[in-house]
Amino acid sequence: MAVINPYYPIPTKIKEIIPETPSITTFVLDGRPIDFSAGQFAELTVPGVGEAPFTPSSSPYAEDLEFTIMKVGRVTSALFELKPGDSIGVRGPFGKPYPLDAFKKKEIFIVGGGVGFAPLRSLFLALVHNIKHYKKIYIRYGARTPQDIVYKKLIPEWQKIDKVDILLTVDRGDDSWKGKVGVITVILDEIPVNVNSAPTIVCGPPLMMKFVTQRLVEAGFKDEHIYLSMEKNMSCGIGKCNHCRVGKFYVCKDGPVLTWKDIKDIEEPFI
Amino acid sequence: MKFYLLPSNKILDFIQGLSRKGPVYYSQLRDGNTHLVRFDPDKDFLPEFKGIRTAENIKHFFLPSRSTVARYPDDEKISAPHQVLFGVKSCDLRGVDVYDRIFLKWEPIDPLYKARRENTIIISADCPEPADTCFCNLVGINPYAEATADLNFTEIESGLLFETFTKKGEEIIKQFQDLFTEPDKGDEKERQMIRRSAVQKLRAINEKQFRAGLAQAVEQVDEEKVRQARDECVECLSCLFSCPTCYCFLLADYKKGKNIERVRVWDGCYYSGYARVGGGMNPRPKFDERFWNRFLCKFTYFYQYEEIYACTGCGRCNSGCMAKIDIREILWQL
Repeated sequence: MAVINPYYPIPTKIKEIIPETPSITTFVLDGRPIDFSAGQFAELTVPGVGEAPFTPSSSPYAEDLEFTIMKVGRVTSALFELKPGDSIGVRGPFGKPYPLDAFKKKEIFIVGGGVGFAPLRSLFLALVHNIKHYKKIYIRYGARTPQDIVYKKLIPEWQKIDKVDILLTVDRGDDSWKGKVGVITVILDEIPVNVNSAPTIVCGPPLMMKFVTQRLVEAGFKDEHIYLSMEKNMSCGIGKCNHCRVGKFYVCKDGPVLTWKDIKDIEEPFI
Repeated sequence: MKFYLLPSNKILDFIQGLSRKGPVYYSQLRDGNTHLVRFDPDKDFLPEFKGIRTAENIKHFFLPSRSTVARYPDDEKISAPHQVLFGVKSCDLRGVDVYDRIFLKWEPIDPLYKARRENTIIISADCPEPADTCFCNLVGINPYAEATADLNFTEIESGLLFETFTKKGEEIIKQFQDLFTEPDKGDEKERQMIRRSAVQKLRAINEKQFRAGLAQAVEQVDEEKVRQARDECVECLSCLFSCPTCYCFLLADYKKGKNIERVRVWDGCYYSGYARVGGGMNPRPKFDERFWNRFLCKFTYFYQYEEIYACTGCGRCNSGCMAKIDIREILWQL
C-alpha cells in the first residue's frame, strides 16, 4: 500500500462562492476531496500562499464540502481573492468528531457567535440528518449586527424543523431588526434544557467563549458536557509541529473541540 | 551479551566500508571541541571518540532545519538520503528516542521522518570524559548507550568493543565480520571500568539531583522564579535550535516552476508570533510565558505522555547561551 503523505494537499477547485456577510464567505469545493465527521477540521491550501485550518460548515452527509470563512489573516485574505474554478488544496480530516452517540436521546444546547456558527452548522445538519435520535436541538446565536448574521436565508428554514428551537441576538440592532438586542448572554438567561444531562456545544470568538462558558457553568451544565471549539495556531494538523498545544492537549489531535473539564485549570484557555 | 572487537588498525577499513552505504559522519577534534565531520577518503581520518557529544546536533539528519515535505499539485515522491552516523553519544540518542516517539509512535506516523530514520545507520560511542556542561545523569541517562542506536562501541586499549542493539546492527557486523575479532574477558572488564569511571565523573559534576516531582514543580512555578530565570536572556534562540529534543516546525509553501514545494522549517516557541492566530490573538504574548513554555514542554507535558523528560542533558543550551544561563541552575531552584 502506498504511504499517504500527510503533508500533501489534495488538489481541488472552488465550485461556488456564497457571500454571507461583508467579511464572511462560504466556499463550496468541487467534489468531495475528503470525508469527515462533524467536529473534525481540515487544512485548506491557497496554492503558493500557504494553509490554515477550518472546520467544514456543510453536513458530513452532504455531497458538497463547504467552508464558511472570515477574512482575518494572510491565508484567508488570499482565499478571498479566489474565484469559482480556481485551484485550492485540502488536507484532512483532522481531530476528533463530536461524540454524537453520547448525545442520543438528549436535548442539545448549541451556542454560537459570529463566524463560530460555521462548524456548528455542520454539527446541526448532522444532528438533523438523524433527528429521531435526539430529544430536541436548541441553537442560541449572536452576531454584531443584523448584517453580520451568517446563513440568513437558511435560518428561517431550520426554524421550521420539528424539535428545533432557534433564538438570535445582535449586539446592535437596526430599523429592520425585530429580534433580541444585546450580547449573546442575553439569550442565555433562560436555559430551557435539563442541565444535568444535556450536552452544550459552543463556538465563537475568544471573549464570547469565556463569558458563555461562565454562564453555562453557572447554569449547572456538567464540565464534561460543555464542548468548546478551540482556536489555535496550527501548522501540521497531525500533532507533530507543536503549535496548537494547550496544556498537555494538542488541539489538532485531541480537539479541536475540548470539554471544559479538560481545560478549566488552564489560565485563559480561549486566547 | 555478545561483543565484537574492531582492532584499532581496522577502524579506517570499517569506515571506508560503511561509506559505501552513504556518507559517513564521524566525530573529530577541532579547536578543542568535537565536531561531526563527513568522512572523505582523500583527507586525513582523525576520529575522536573520547570527547563529549559533537557541537553539531544530529537532529539535522532526521529533521533538517529546512526540508521539502510535499510537492503539489504533482505528488512527487520525496526521497530520504542514506547516511551513517559514527560515534554518537548517548545523550544524542535520547534526542532520537524523543523524536521516534513523536514521529513514529504517536499516530499518525510521519512517513518522511520514518524514511530518514530507516535510511540512517546510527553507531554510538561510550562517553568516558563528561564535561562540566554535561548532566545526562540528572535526566535518567547513562553516559553510554543502552538502546536506540544500531551498534554501540566502547573505545578500549586494543580498539573498539562493539555490541549490537538492532537487526540492522547485526547485519553490519555480519557484513564486515572479517574485520572483527573475538574480544577476551579483559576487554569486557576494561569496558566496565571505563563506564564506571564515566558515571562517577558525572556524579562529581552534578552532585545534586533534580527534585522529586519535577514535572509538577515546573507546572506550578511562581512568576517571580520565571522572571529571574529569564532575566538575562537575549532571545537568540540558540538553546532551542541546538536542542536535540526541540522539534517545532511550520510548513511554508514556495512556488517552484509549475509545482509548489511545501517546506518544513524549524520554528521556535520563543518567537512572539509562534502561537499567534490569524485574528491576532496570542496565547503567550509575554516573553516570560514563552520562556517557561520551553520548560513545560520538556519537563511537564512530554513527561506526562512518555514518562521521560524531553531533555538529554547534553548541555548545548548551556554552552551556547551568550547570557550564561544554565538550565540546571533553573531546575535546581524549583
